Amino acid sequence: MATQSNAQPAETGSNPFLKLVAALSTLSGWVAAGMIVLAVLITCQMIFVRFVLNHSTIWQTEAVVYLMISATLVGLPYVQRLRGHVNVDLLPLMLPKVARRILAIITLLASLAIVGLMFFYGFEFWYEAWSRNWKSDTVWGVRLWIPYLAMPVGFGLFLLQLIADLLAVISGIDRPFGLQDNR
Amino acid sequence: MDPILLGALVAIVTILVLFSGVSVATGLLIVSAGFLITFDGLRSLELMPEIFFGKLDSFALLSIPMFIIMGAAISSTRAGADLYEALERWLTRVPGGLVISNLGACALFAAMSGSSPATCAAIGKMGIPEMRKRGYPDGVAAGSIAAGGTLGILIPPSVTMIVYGIATETSIGRLFLAGVLPGLLLVGLFMVWSLYSTWRSGDASVFADRSYTLKEKLAILPRVLPFILIIFGVLYAMYGGVATPSETAAVGALLCLIIAMVIYRLWNPKDLWVVLRDSTRESVMILFIIAAAGVFAYMLSSLFITQSIAAWIGTLEVNRWVLMGVINLFLLVAGFFLPPVAVILMASPILLPIVTTAGFDPYWFAVILTINMEIGLISPPVGLNLYVINGIAPDISLKTILTGSLPYVACMVIAILILCFIPELATWLPNQVMGRAI
Repeated sequence: MATQSNAQPAETGSNPFLKLVAALSTLSGWVAAGMIVLAVLITCQMIFVRFVLNHSTIWQTEAVVYLMISATLVGLPYVQRLRGHVNVDLLPLMLPKVARRILAIITLLASLAIVGLMFFYGFEFWYEAWSRNWKSDTVWGVRLWIPYLAMPVGFGLFLLQLIADLLAVISGIDRPFGLQDNR
Repeated sequence: MDPILLGALVAIVTILVLFSGVSVATGLLIVSAGFLITFDGLRSLELMPEIFFGKLDSFALLSIPMFIIMGAAISSTRAGADLYEALERWLTRVPGGLVISNLGACALFAAMSGSSPATCAAIGKMGIPEMRKRGYPDGVAAGSIAAGGTLGILIPPSVTMIVYGIATETSIGRLFLAGVLPGLLLVGLFMVWSLYSTWRSGDASVFADRSYTLKEKLAILPRVLPFILIIFGVLYAMYGGVATPSETAAVGALLCLIIAMVIYRLWNPKDLWVVLRDSTRESVMILFIIAAAGVFAYMLSSLFITQSIAAWIGTLEVNRWVLMGVINLFLLVAGFFLPPVAVILMASPILLPIVTTAGFDPYWFAVILTINMEIGLISPPVGLNLYVINGIAPDISLKTILTGSLPYVACMVIAILILCFIPELATWLPNQVMGRAI
């Protein structure tokens, strides 16, 4: 798959806020990886129960899907920190230093705006499920606010990492788009 | 505003936004929100989290992180090098055995890892220095590996095919099978070109390879067979109707992790974390694009763009092959700049209705689309595989890698043409194994 090779992981310098956000994002990366591993194990357990023990399974399918969704959302800030969200860096690579920096600030602001919107509406989405005690329409009937919580949490942490990235670019701690100076 | 005009506007804005360097998924969300706010009002955004979440709420999607873990576990080991050595030992009597075993190793490793850059790196690290040492031209050494690596997205199990299956609601099992014969066709074409161009370079002595004893040939097998068996096991379980792709992939992922730990002694927690970190990064990146593309597709259809474009193309009465030509050109250009997953997710909701209305088979089209994406992987400006090769063989200039890869691009174009004349190459195997598609 295409993960572009030009960019370096985000720099934090000695700035305490940037370090804190980096630590939070790394933690969410561990949590996301843990959830994916858990999904692998539960799926294997489900297959064992179904094909070897010949029992029917109730909660597993739903649980692994919610684990995968949560891993994706909670993993967002970590992948942002690793600069693993694939982008087209052709134009940034061609631009001179100053213009590249301005473009980086503009794209970060736009990303902040949309992730902020997703965080806000994601919170509403979760709050509705929580306050009305919605349940999934399956046998398991899981309370939906639990998986939905990943929405505000994931986008909230993602927002934080983007703010940190913006600060790092503005203060000159990090290079715009994580690109090396012109080769 | 006329939906067709609006569609053109969306296309232009999307291109501009994506070229700004913003990440693909975030860019898609920005464009979707922008158009929804402008044409449907701010309230329409309330639905975005629900669509985003709903797009990911699918058991089939689980196969993506599972296959990625499988590939990452295999790629973290020496399996690539072992596979390469095994084929070389066994194919030593075949003329040009070395380049053939390289391409064969690429095809097999592509099947195991499902990733193009990983295949390039794993086989290229051993294969390129060895080919150069034995006097194969630099261009052939670099180009054959760059091209061989692209097979990762065509030969099953392929993450790209899973994404297509999910985006178009087609059968993933059928898609996997559709990629097999075209994949072999490509391997064949790559081999023919490699042999021809080595022979033409005038140094036929490189074809005289060293020989191995039977003992040496057998000694390598225990190191390569487990992974190959797992892949075949996974595919067998899928087609035997034993389990769904997600379930078999989960078992495959667990087995590959265990084998990597037992046979390749991947005990160190740090090394294990690298496997998990890489698979998490890759999965999150792809799943984020899938969810964002879901929001994007919702925006397109709620503004009647998807429906209008399909209807409009229907009234054009162009020759269906002209239409396919234009679509190919579009895919090719998109593939030059964007990763395959992004192209498939953005384009397939619009393209598939057009393609099927024009009477093309959706599984055949998946193969055509994938080969187009493969071309993008070895063409500038983004051509990921070129940079991977550049990374592992820094003393071959990018220009040599590029010119070495061009003939293989031609092979891919030839494969697309052959598939246009003989579509059965893609459709025959799935029909044989799974019965005709309804």
